[in-house]
Amino acid sequence: MDTIIECRRLTREYRKADTVIRPLDELDLDVPRGDFLALMGPSGSGKTTLLNLIAGIDSPTRGQLLVEGADIGALGRNRLAAWRSRHVGYIFQLYNLVPALTAYENVELPMLLHPMSRRERHERIVAALDRVGIADRKDHFPRQLSGGQEQRVAIARAIVTDPAIIVADEPTGDLDKPAAHAVMTLLQQLNRELGKTIIMVTHDPAATAYAARTLHLDKGRLVEKDSIGGRLEAEEASV
Amino acid sequence: MNALRCMPYVLRQVARHRIRSALTVLGVAIAMFLFTAVQAMNEGVTEATAATANDTTLVVYREDRYCPATSRLPQDYQRRIESVDGVVSVTPMKIVVSNCRTSLDVVTFRGVPKDDFIADRGDEIELIAGSIEDWRRRTDAALVGETLAARRGFRPGMTFDAAGITAYVAGIIRTDDAQDHNVAYTALEFVQLAHRDELGVVTQFNVKVRDASVLERVAEDIDAIFATAQEPTATFSEKAFIGRLADDIIELVGFARWLGLGCLAAALALVANSIVLAVQSRVSEHAVLQTLGFSGRLVSALIIAEGVVLALLGGGLGAAAAVMVAANSRYALSVEGTSIPIVAGPGLLAWGLLVCGGIGVIAGLVPAWQASHRDIAERLRAA
Ligand SMILES: Nc1ncnc2c1ncn2[C@@H]1O[C@H](COP(=O)(O)OP(=O)(O)OP(=O)(O)O)[C@@H](O)[C@H]1O
Ligand SMILES: [Mg+2]
Repeated sequence: MDTIIECRRLTREYRKADTVIRPLDELDLDVPRGDFLALMGPSGSGKTTLLNLIAGIDSPTRGQLLVEGADIGALGRNRLAAWRSRHVGYIFQLYNLVPALTAYENVELPMLLHPMSRRERHERIVAALDRVGIADRKDHFPRQLSGGQEQRVAIARAIVTDPAIIVADEPTGDLDKPAAHAVMTLLQQLNRELGKTIIMVTHDPAATAYAARTLHLDKGRLVEKDSIGGRLEAEEASV
Repeated sequence: MNALRCMPYVLRQVARHRIRSALTVLGVAIAMFLFTAVQAMNEGVTEATAATANDTTLVVYREDRYCPATSRLPQDYQRRIESVDGVVSVTPMKIVVSNCRTSLDVVTFRGVPKDDFIADRGDEIELIAGSIEDWRRRTDAALVGETLAARRGFRPGMTFDAAGITAYVAGIIRTDDAQDHNVAYTALEFVQLAHRDELGVVTQFNVKVRDASVLERVAEDIDAIFATAQEPTATFSEKAFIGRLADDIIELVGFARWLGLGCLAAALALVANSIVLAVQSRVSEHAVLQTLGFSGRLVSALIIAEGVVLALLGGGLGAAAAVMVAANSRYALSVEGTSIPIVAGPGLLAWGLLVCGGIGVIAGLVPAWQASHRDIAERLRAA
């Protein structure tokens, strides 16, 4: 099987004075192409840190990270930016649309980095908006959309350049059940119909049902679910 | 290349933060209006007083006198000046002004011998209305400079009153010499007789010399001839002469340059403030752009471009307004019969835009650097 993401002893450290914070601790992970992987784990376990490394917006302190065959830990700032624009789409919990731009213009943003005819660009933007079912709201600004609609625009923005990998950090964390269901169904379609490799962080056990498999992270390492289950329940009981 | 494709993003940011943009543009426009106006006066001073290699005119004035009312020389000095080696022609002039103080709206009469004047200056003068024949025939006729004519609405055939003189507009003239733009040329005797009987008395002689290299020597020779006369003379190149009579205006304009620079600083502060606030409110937005694949350099370029667009919009408006006002109102600063033009043309407008472009770039530099060099993940986390 074709492995699209390969983490070997992947470590990310932050040093402040003489304390070392290690959100990722020698993590080993293989993600096959076309996987839909859900990542769970307590707050602070390193989920976002891992996504950021895979998406190329952060660099590992040690270890190796191969994404689509590229050693992205070794790329310089500008090459890494160009790499991001072709290989990953990022979906955020709080959508992160540009408020001054319409839905259409938000989806257009990543396309501005790719030379192509006006017409082709337009067609691809419309196709992406169609796929997420939001074409009729394309001229609306984010403030005129519901959270679920905003997230769908954000998904269109993540897929418009046709990247092989999509990372999503708690994509339903701010949505109610029906909107969350719609977003999860959409991600599932992207995975099944377009073959996108999706890595999704979530706190919502219902969301993991849409994924092909679920991994658990604790203190920067992958763990067996049962080993942290008891602790999670204890945490929840104390809230 | 990417930066060009992203210009729509920049323009949308400007257009959709409407109030912020409008206020910034308005402020910059006002500052650039003032800067351009000061610059126009300054260029006028330079044009009127900076010596050039083509200067061949001397002005002979009464020694120690600084205004046309008190400079009184016998007209018969003319023949002795003509005899100085290097002198090509001598035009005696009687000058009367409608307002002795420095003003933007002065009528200056220059009485000259008509035939000599036409012989000397005929080929430099372009008649844009009226007739020279008319001017030669009528004793009260005036050839009016185009700035003065435009300002007062003079047309050939009209009569006008100024400085207690009633004159007839025979023609309107255009020349390259700023000193002609704002004056009315009439017959010498007409001006001499207009007030008191001053026949035989002139204010100054305008002397043409062979070439610029002999200016200084001729001036010395002339002053030497009259050094012991009852009415001694002081002779200067025309540019130096204007500088001498208009020195207070020139000082004022020089001071105003500081105000102009102050205006630039204000415009810079305004644009910088606008960009700094915008960048602060878009910390996560810029991190998102970088996540989408925008390089730090590109994000910086877009921030700087936004400053340049704001500065150019404001500067373009302000400078264009100043150039238009200066061009249409046709004012000139007149002092003691000399005139300091206000020079405002496309060159000044282009200069203003260039300065604004620079302001836009400088205003965006620091915020652009800050926005693109902070850690992307950290900025996303802070949002
Ligand atoms: N810039 C930084 N400097 C220091 N520590 C950091 C920095 N960024 C992240 N951390 C720490 O790394 C750890 C892992 O953070 P991370 O955001 O990956 O957790 P997470 O699993 O996504 O948590 P959550 O579920 O709350 O989103 C946390 O303890 C966090 O405080
Ligand atoms: Mg997180």
